[in-house]
Amino acid sequence: MKRQAWFGLSIMALVVVLVFVLMPSPSQMTNGHLGLLMLALIVVAIMLGFPTAFTLMGMGVIFAWFAYYSRDPSLANRQTLDLMVQRTYAVMSNEVLISIPLFVFMGYLVERANLIEKLFKSLHLATARVPGSLAVATVITCAVFATATGIVGAVVTLMGLLALPAMLRAGYSTQLAAGAITAGGCLGILIPPSVLLIVYGATAGVSVVQLYAGAFFPGIMLAALYVGFIILAAKIRPSLAPPLSIADRYIDLPRFAQAVSATISHKVIPGLLGALRSRNSPELPRGDLLRHLGIALLPLLAAVLLMGLIHRGITAPEQVDATQGLVEMGSEAQGAGNEPGRELAAQGELAEPKDEGELKEPPADGELAEPPVEGKASQSPAAAAKADAPPAGEAPAGQPAAAAPAAAAENAAGVDGERRPAPTGYWIAVALLAAVLAAFYAVFTFTRLEIFKMLLASFFPLAMLILAVLGSIVFGLATPSEAAAMGSLGGLLLAAAYGRLKFPMVRESVFLTAKTSAMVCWLFVGSSIFSAAFALLGGQELINQWVLSLEMTPLQFMILSQIIIFLLGWPLEWTEIIVIFMPIFVPLLPHFGIDPLFFGLLVALNLQTAFLSPPVAMAAFYLKGVSPPHVTLNQIFGGMLPFMGIQVVALVLLYLFPAIGLWLPNVLYGR
Amino acid sequence: MQKLLLFVDKLSTWVGQAFAWLILLLTLQVSWEVFARYVLSDPHAWAFDAMVMLYGTVFMMAGAYTLAKNGHVRGDVLYGYFPVRVQAGLDLALYILFFIPGVVALVWAGYTYASESWAINEHSNITADGPPIYPFKTVIPVAGVFLLLQGGVEIVRCIQCLREGAWPSREADVEEVDVEKLKEMVHVRDEDIATLDAELGTRGAGGTPAGRP
Repeated sequence: MKRQAWFGLSIMALVVVLVFVLMPSPSQMTNGHLGLLMLALIVVAIMLGFPTAFTLMGMGVIFAWFAYYSRDPSLANRQTLDLMVQRTYAVMSNEVLISIPLFVFMGYLVERANLIEKLFKSLHLATARVPGSLAVATVITCAVFATATGIVGAVVTLMGLLALPAMLRAGYSTQLAAGAITAGGCLGILIPPSVLLIVYGATAGVSVVQLYAGAFFPGIMLAALYVGFIILAAKIRPSLAPPLSIADRYIDLPRFAQAVSATISHKVIPGLLGALRSRNSPELPRGDLLRHLGIALLPLLAAVLLMGLIHRGITAPEQVDATQGLVEMGSEAQGAGNEPGRELAAQGELAEPKDEGELKEPPADGELAEPPVEGKASQSPAAAAKADAPPAGEAPAGQPAAAAPAAAAENAAGVDGERRPAPTGYWIAVALLAAVLAAFYAVFTFTRLEIFKMLLASFFPLAMLILAVLGSIVFGLATPSEAAAMGSLGGLLLAAAYGRLKFPMVRESVFLTAKTSAMVCWLFVGSSIFSAAFALLGGQELINQWVLSLEMTPLQFMILSQIIIFLLGWPLEWTEIIVIFMPIFVPLLPHFGIDPLFFGLLVALNLQTAFLSPPVAMAAFYLKGVSPPHVTLNQIFGGMLPFMGIQVVALVLLYLFPAIGLWLPNVLYGR
Repeated sequence: MQKLLLFVDKLSTWVGQAFAWLILLLTLQVSWEVFARYVLSDPHAWAFDAMVMLYGTVFMMAGAYTLAKNGHVRGDVLYGYFPVRVQAGLDLALYILFFIPGVVALVWAGYTYASESWAINEHSNITADGPPIYPFKTVIPVAGVFLLLQGGVEIVRCIQCLREGAWPSREADVEEVDVEKLKEMVHVRDEDIATLDAELGTRGAGGTPAGRP
C-alpha cells in the first residue's frame, strides 16, 4: 500500500485508540458517551470510503433508535421514523438550500460558455509589465472564473491546460506555476457567490446574505495576497518568473491603428481625434475611428455615470442609501437600467451590450458607447444622469482628463433644488477618480486599446455577472435564490452571446447540476438525521460541558477550533466538515461571545487549505492529470505550500482585523 | 442478471435525468417571478411554494441517478488506495449496515408521512389557499424506492467484484471534469503536452532550469 494509505490508516488508528482511552468502562457509559462514540465512528466510517450521505443516514437512524429505545422501548420505532422523515422534509423545503442547484447550474453554464481562454490571454497581456505577469494573470483569471463557476476541478484543469504550458515555456519555476494555478482555482469556494457559504449558512443558521457581504473582502484580500506574493517572488528572484520577451507581449494592431500611430499619435484619444479631423486618407475608415473612440471613452462614461448616480444618491432629499449607487455600478456599465427592478431584469443582458462589439466587430461599437447612456437616462427617473451624460460624451473632445469633474460639477449645479450638498469626501473621490482617469488616458495607447477591447469581451462580462448577482443579494434587491436564478439566466445568455448555447451543452449542464445538487443535498439529509441523533443522545451537551470545563479564553477556543478544522481538512472534504462538524462548533460560539458570522468567514478561509493540503488535495490531482509527465506531484505539492502559508496569514489577518469581513455587513445591515 | 442490473441503472438514470430538467424550469420560474414582481407588479402567492417543490423534487429524484453514476461524495483518503476486493468488501458490508436500514426507514417513514398528507388533503400553509402539498411529500417514498432499487444493484456489483476481482463497468455519463472535453474546449491536444514535456526534459538535462530555450 502506498504512503497515503498508511497516513490515512494511522489517523484512523489514532481515532480508535483515542476512543478506547477516553471512553469510560461500559458499566459507566451514558447515552452521552454513546454520542461521542458515534462521532468517532463516523470519522472512521467516512474514511472507509462509503458514500458519506448514506453513512450518516444509516448511523443516524441506528443511534436515534438506540436513544429512543433507552427512553421508551414501545415508542422507539415510531419516533425514529418520524424524526427521520421530518428531518428529510425539512431539507427538502429548506429555502436557503434552494440556491444551491441554481448557483451550481449557473456555474456549469458559465464554464461551458468558454470564456477562460480569452480571459487568460487578455489578462496576461494586460499585466505583461508586472513581474511574474503570467502567474499574476493566472491568479486573476482563476479568481474571476472560479468565482463565477465555483467548480474547482474544472478551473484547475482548464488552467492546467492553458496557463501551465504558457508559464513553463516562459521559464517559470514549476512550483510557482503549479502553486498559482491550484491556489487560484480554490478561490471560487471563498469569494461569493459560493456554495460553501450557502452550506455554512444553512447549517449554522446564519444569513447567507450577510455571509456573502462578509466574505467579499476577505476573498479579494486573499487573491491580492497571492498576487502580492507572486510579484514579490518574481522581483526578488527573477529566475522564478522571468519577464516575458517582447515577442510574447506583441499585440497585432489593426491597420487603421497602425496608420494613426505612425502618422498622428500613438495615444488613442489624440490619435483618433486627429485622424477624424484630417479625414482624407482611405486608410482611415470613419466608422472604425468612431467605433474605437466610443470604446475608448467607455471608462470615462462609466465613471461619470457612477459618480453622477452616487451624487444623486447622497444628495437626494430623502436619504435612500448611499450604497445604492454601488449596486448600480454593476448594472450601469452594462448599460442596463438603473432601477433596482430593472437591474435584475436586465442583469441577464449584461453579456450582450459588451460583446456585440467584439463578436460582430463591424458597426455595433459606435452605438455601444452612447445608446446605453441615453437609454438609461430616459428610462431612469434620474434627471441628473440625463443632464450630464451628453456633456460627458462631448467634453472629452476638448480635454478628456478634465471631463469628469466638469460633468459632475454640472450635475451638481443643474439639479440642486432642495437637495443637500454633497459631502467633501465625495468631491475628493471625484477628484481622485478624475486623476486616475487622466493618468489612464495619458498612457492609453493603441496597444492598450486592443487589450482593453479583449478585456471587454472576456473579463467584464464575467465581472458584471458576478457583481450583478452579488450586488442584488447584498443590497437586498433579491433573495439569494432569486439572484441565483437570474444568474443562471445570465449564464444562459452569456453562453448564447458567445455562440455556445446548444442543446447538448444545456443538457449536460442540467444533468451535472442534478448530480451535484443531489450529492450536496443528500449529504444534508444524512447529516441532519445524524446530528439529530447526536443531540438526542446528549453528545452535544457532553461536548459543551467538556469544552466549558476547559475554561478557555475566546482566543484559545478560536485557535483550537481553527486548528481542528484545518486538520479535518486533510482527510475530509469541505462539505463533510461543514455539515458534520459545524453543528458541534456553532452552539459553543455564544458562550465565547464569538459572532457566528465571523466564525463562518474564518471557516471559509480556513477550508481553502482543505483543497491544498495533501493527501486529499483535489486541486493537485486535477493539475497533475493534465500536466506534462515531467511535472511531479511533489513539485505541485511543494508549489502549494507557500500559498497555504499565505492562507494562514490571511486567516490571522482576518482574526486580528475582523473589520475586513464585518465592515460591509455592519454598514449594510446595521448589525 | 447483467441485463437486469443495467436495466435498473438505466431506469435510475432516466428518472433522474427526466427530473433534472426541472432545474431549467426552476430557473425560468424564479426569473419570471422576479420579473413579474418588479416590472409587472404582479407577484404570485404560490411562487414560493413552487420554488421549494421544484428544488426538493430535483434533488430527491436525482439521488438514485447520482448513486448509479457513483456521484455521491466519498471520503477518499484510503478508499482509492485499497485493493479492489477490499473496496468491494467494505462497500458491501456498509451497504448492508448503513444503507439498507437508512433507506428502508426512509421509504417506510415517507410512505406513512405521505399517506397521512393525502388523507387530510393537505395544502401548503405558507400562504392562504396554498397549493396541495401531498404530491411533494409523496416524492420522499418514491425517491426512496428508486434509491433502494439502485442500492440493490450496487450490492450485486460488490458481490460480482468480490468474485471477479474487478469492478463491473458502468455506463458512461457526463462528468464534471471531463478532461478530454475540456482539452477540446481550449484547443489543447495531447501532442502539445508531449512537446512541452520533451522541452522540459531537455532543459532539465541541460542544467539550466530557468534558462530560455
